[in-house]
Amino acid sequence: MIRLENISLSYDTKTPILSDVSIHIEAGSFHFVTGNSGAGKTSLLKLIFLAQRPSAGEIFLFGQQVSALKRYELPDIRRRIGVVFQDFRLIDHLDIYQNVTLPLRVAGQREVSYRENARELLDWVGLGERMRALPATLSGGEKQRAAIARAVIARPHLIVADEPTGNVDSEIGDRLLRLLEELNKMGTTVIVATHDQHIWRSFAHPRLHLTHGRLELLK
Amino acid sequence: MSQQAAPKNILPRANMAGASLGAVTMVMSFLACLAVGAALLVSISADHWLARATSAMTVQISDTDRMSADDQRVAVMRELAQFPGVTAARPLTSNDMIELLEPWLGTGNVSDDLPLPVLIEITPDAQLQTNAEALDIALRSVAPGARLDTHGRWRETLTQTTTILRIFAGLVLLMVTLATITVLIFAIRAGLMANAEILQVLHQIGAHDRFIAWHFEQHFLRLTFLWAFLGAILAGSLFLALGEVMVELQHYEILIWLVPVPFGFCLLGWIVTRRHVLHSLTNLM
Repeated sequence: MIRLENISLSYDTKTPILSDVSIHIEAGSFHFVTGNSGAGKTSLLKLIFLAQRPSAGEIFLFGQQVSALKRYELPDIRRRIGVVFQDFRLIDHLDIYQNVTLPLRVAGQREVSYRENARELLDWVGLGERMRALPATLSGGEKQRAAIARAVIARPHLIVADEPTGNVDSEIGDRLLRLLEELNKMGTTVIVATHDQHIWRSFAHPRLHLTHGRLELLK
Repeated sequence: MSQQAAPKNILPRANMAGASLGAVTMVMSFLACLAVGAALLVSISADHWLARATSAMTVQISDTDRMSADDQRVAVMRELAQFPGVTAARPLTSNDMIELLEPWLGTGNVSDDLPLPVLIEITPDAQLQTNAEALDIALRSVAPGARLDTHGRWRETLTQTTTILRIFAGLVLLMVTLATITVLIFAIRAGLMANAEILQVLHQIGAHDRFIAWHFEQHFLRLTFLWAFLGAILAGSLFLALGEVMVELQHYEILIWLVPVPFGFCLLGWIVTRRHVLHSLTNLM
């Protein structure tokens, strides 16, 4: 599913963010990415969800070598990845329904083909009553659920979540993680970056721990 | 609970150039229409003047030692009557001469002792216009003080002036086009910067560059067409008003040539937007 071979990343020549990272993540697995603040968790996720190019090394996603892909081929790969950003990245002037269904609209699907499914998904994440609300009127937990709904609506093969519990209390955080576990049980590969020990201690999944740009697999 | 319907445009209008770009586009369209209209008016007037200039020739007769001007006039009229291609020939009277001079010397300032040449106005046919040299030789052979004036130098000056004015109008159009492209690029850059976070999200959820570019194109197409059309209407109104004031400018057929200007601005806006947005997006991952 995901293979990183000798990946290095540095924004300047002095301090590498990641150095010589190699991992292999199987399809259908659930991994936490842990590490102190500034350890490179977000950078690692950015490489995986194709928002960043590595300084060195090769990334293989869904069996394809990313560096060999043409620019016009990247969107089709990205559509197979659902991303939950730490800061939600909901579009302010679109309501929750429009935000959540944006990946389908971008993929060129007609609204009639997904309207019912989108409503069911919004009900599932507990936002059925608030689908016409603008993001600014939502609480942190509601925004986070909307971001997750947007990440999963196109039925991605991989979900990457960057600190999904960072802006919500522990109870909502636990519920969000259980939501991601449910998706994982349905076959979706899940990678969650977190610095919250309570989260990765509560859920028994392997941990990719980053220290000084190096990656270590902890089971 | 908020149940308001949010707008469906993915790129919010508030983040895109609006009235300020529209006003500049309107001014540019207005200037482009003025340049096109002025070039057409100059062409029409020049063609009219040239047609009049080529439809007449003048024979000027001066006294010589051998023949008086009056004797030469008689000889010239006789020659003209038999020369092929001369449709009509008419000696100008003293009153005709005074009327010609009064705009330059002032009314009543042409005194009787002012030496005036004898002038004969000829109406040539098309064949004679290309054979003027033969007529000049024939006239000089019967009247040594006769000179045929085909208004060639004046026609040449008029043609040159018209060409210069057309080039000038073309340069104005070129400048307007370059200025419009520059302003559009600045507006597009501002739009890209203001929407940077939305563009990141769109890329991340799998939007192709063309999908994003199309949203920019829609915005700038709508904006340039509306405001450029307004600029063309203003220019058209100005030409109509000028036509009411000056009879020489009543060539309303030129207005039809202003219609393509807003469409030209649309095409320009579309091409510039598409190329610039696609180029900018390739710099993002």
